[in-house]
Amino acid sequence: MPQTKEWKDMTWQEKREARFDRWLNPPEVKFVSKEAEQLYKERVTRFIKAIKLEEPDRVPVMLPTGNFPAYWGGSSFHELMYNYKKGNEIWKKYMVAFGDMDAFNGPNFIPAGKISEVVRSKQTKLPGLGLPKEATMNQFVEGEYMMPDEYDRYMLDPTDYNLRVMMPRTTPLFESFKKLPAFSNIMGNFWVMALTDPDVRKTFETLMSLTDEQRKWTAATLEISQYIKERGYPSLFGGGVMAGAPFDHFADALRGTQGIARDMFRQPKKLHEAMERYLNWTIETNIKNFPMTQSPICMMPLHKGDDAFMSDKQFAEFYWPTYRRLLLAMIDEGLVPMPFAEGRYTNRLKQITDTPPSGVVWYFDQTDMKEAKRILGGICCIAGNVPTSVVIKGTPETVKEYCRKLIQDCAPGGGFILAGGASIDNGKIENLQAMMEAAKEHGVYKK
Amino acid sequence: MEKQWSEMTWQERREERFKKWLNPPVKLPSPAIEKLYKERLTRMIKAIKMEIPDRVPIHLAANSFVAYNAGHTLYDVLYDYSLIKPSWIKFLEEFEQDSADAPGFFAARVYEILDYKVNAWPGHGLPKTSTLPNFIEKEYMQADEYDLFMKDPFDFGLRKFTPRTWGAFEPFTSVPSFSSYSGLPERLMMMCQDPNFKKLFKAIVEASDENAKHQKVMMECAQESLKRGFPPLMGGVMLAPFDTVADMLRGTSGVVKDMFRQPEKLLESLEIIADNSIRSTVGMVNMARSPIVFVPMHKGADSFMSVPQFEKFYWPTFRKLILGVVNEGCVPMMIIDGSYNEARLKIISELPKSCVIWTMEKTDMALSKKILGNSACIAGNVTAAMLYTQTAQQIKEYARKLIETCAPGGGYILALGSGIDKCDPKNLHAVVEAGLEYGKY
Repeated sequence: MPQTKEWKDMTWQEKREARFDRWLNPPEVKFVSKEAEQLYKERVTRFIKAIKLEEPDRVPVMLPTGNFPAYWGGSSFHELMYNYKKGNEIWKKYMVAFGDMDAFNGPNFIPAGKISEVVRSKQTKLPGLGLPKEATMNQFVEGEYMMPDEYDRYMLDPTDYNLRVMMPRTTPLFESFKKLPAFSNIMGNFWVMALTDPDVRKTFETLMSLTDEQRKWTAATLEISQYIKERGYPSLFGGGVMAGAPFDHFADALRGTQGIARDMFRQPKKLHEAMERYLNWTIETNIKNFPMTQSPICMMPLHKGDDAFMSDKQFAEFYWPTYRRLLLAMIDEGLVPMPFAEGRYTNRLKQITDTPPSGVVWYFDQTDMKEAKRILGGICCIAGNVPTSVVIKGTPETVKEYCRKLIQDCAPGGGFILAGGASIDNGKIENLQAMMEAAKEHGVYKK
Repeated sequence: MEKQWSEMTWQERREERFKKWLNPPVKLPSPAIEKLYKERLTRMIKAIKMEIPDRVPIHLAANSFVAYNAGHTLYDVLYDYSLIKPSWIKFLEEFEQDSADAPGFFAARVYEILDYKVNAWPGHGLPKTSTLPNFIEKEYMQADEYDLFMKDPFDFGLRKFTPRTWGAFEPFTSVPSFSSYSGLPERLMMMCQDPNFKKLFKAIVEASDENAKHQKVMMECAQESLKRGFPPLMGGVMLAPFDTVADMLRGTSGVVKDMFRQPEKLLESLEIIADNSIRSTVGMVNMARSPIVFVPMHKGADSFMSVPQFEKFYWPTFRKLILGVVNEGCVPMMIIDGSYNEARLKIISELPKSCVIWTMEKTDMALSKKILGNSACIAGNVTAAMLYTQTAQQIKEYARKLIETCAPGGGYILALGSGIDKCDPKNLHAVVEAGLEYGKY
């Protein structure tokens, strides 16, 4: 459809429609058959309707597939870190073996091993790199990487802080960035002076030596994602990696749980000020004029705002206000934020109702879904939450039964996506197939 | 018990830095040379403190003259580093003065490799016969970029200012901001994957190799100065905050518009620049032997702005910067390009006594002595024009008068009004002779 209105004059719904349209008719995808194209459109339409709180033909399903295909195919996370081609082959086979799915992705979350070895971050452990080779997941390592007295320095010049302080602390390869001169004195040949230092130069040389590997990994990732779409499977992760909640930014990556808990009591003003700054930058630099991406869905994993980490009062004071504004800014650009509330959000439900109807999709892990439907129904599409334990250890029958109950509680009137509580690694393909069957058997909306 | 730095007054801190300065950084060839080093430096220090030294100290900012004095052109020494040291030694041996660093020649090839856009020089935008490089003023910062400049200076520097002033850095214009830490290592890696960045890094590596060669020559020149008992003078450089904006960022026409259209933004940035400059200048001086900070001054002069504008835009943040570095024991040595009238001299005389040096180009020296005589050491002002057009005799006479007017009571350095390029060496000798002959107290 030709655009008749300028982007800036559109309402958020019109912008979202334009983005939905882009998702529905991907110009970069050449479908292998008419049938594939039709399936692709049916699937995307199913999600779009659920998001818009309308009734689709049936409940859409976001399978907790994760890296399960690796193990299904007899391989492992560790092996696929080094053998991208094998990963793609397994994923292709898995796709055929599985059959009908509403969405599917390649092994995107398995990083390139050779690169991870060199650019090792203290914040991440991987199978064979800090974890046993047999480990099936990556592990985030929290720490106090930003000191309690560094909020001011961070706010004074955030890029400077990130490059010259944080990078050397988290990633040994960037140790030399300590020696970079500050940019505040803008006279003189900054980079020439910086690169005269042999350690700084070595860092860049190392980075550049990884280019070929990085190119291979990117090519493999693109190849599989294209392959999957051409065969009619849409991706939900096309919105690009988005910033999380401002509170989590400080709690996860910078101050750590202990640090942030102290800051809430000892220097709440600084924390608020820093979150405010961070929010504004994020909106200015990442959200405004967000490009037309493959899909408007933005997955946003959330951590420290859940029932176990903070009280209602703390959530209302520290977590929700800045996060809500971030959500509103995203909605205003026509994006569809999909916060993934890790842990339990049952207490929070009453506190997150003040966003525009159908603007947000809440993806729940252990939250009481009946409550979620009761409180957020008519405001947000909700997704969830077959527990990993059931998907991994259950039988197809128990999985199906669990799904049936979920659908019964959450599907009426639309606005529900059937999903797992978290992705699985080892498990049974039959159990995932049982989720699809449950949606088809119990999730059809009567016209 | 020794006092902690944090408990010291600015004078005590300065004394600490003077002590460090009086200790030569390397072992000097002989006790006689060491004595000479200390005599010269004591002369300087006394002048700065507005005490009476044995004679008026002499300071010659020679610039391109060093090349021409040795029979070369500026073009020659910018491209052929091997000519620099012999020229410098010749200059040191021929002209007596009370300090000397190293010649101020930049490495033209480094600028060429990285496509530096802010300078033109002989052989690059100027005829090979040109005797001085040219500064190319432009709006390197747009009128609507003050906020970015203030709120995320490094980001502004990296993605806006650098690519505009160094052509090779063009790829940075298309990189997303680094203001969020999330995924930064990965993003840096993606960046390095871009063929344009590979090209850029190759250029930087090439440039820094070239720069290292040039630096080596400069270090050797500094050693030659020390070996002859010349104390180093330049411990750091800074600009008045207004000049930082007017010279480097917005350009004259940009800053003039801003003074009327967005004075608040301009003033707010000047405050931030002042704070940052204090930090970076003190950092520079901490690594240097000398506590002297050179401050070339431009847009606050008589012909650029009115006195009310000077009072509103130029002076408050400049004063803050001066006091900030003085408080850390540094000694700002201003070079006022153009001239300052009586009103301006009165304004700048309101600093704590003897904490700075004012070098004059065209400002009336008698007036300077009258107004600043109780405030600060002054220096100047045999101008480049005089050296270029007059005879040795006339110059010696002028220098004699300068001494007669400015030396009484101390607090005067016989100096040029600006750097010079070409002149009859006899004329420069005349300045030195006058200093030696008439400068004794």
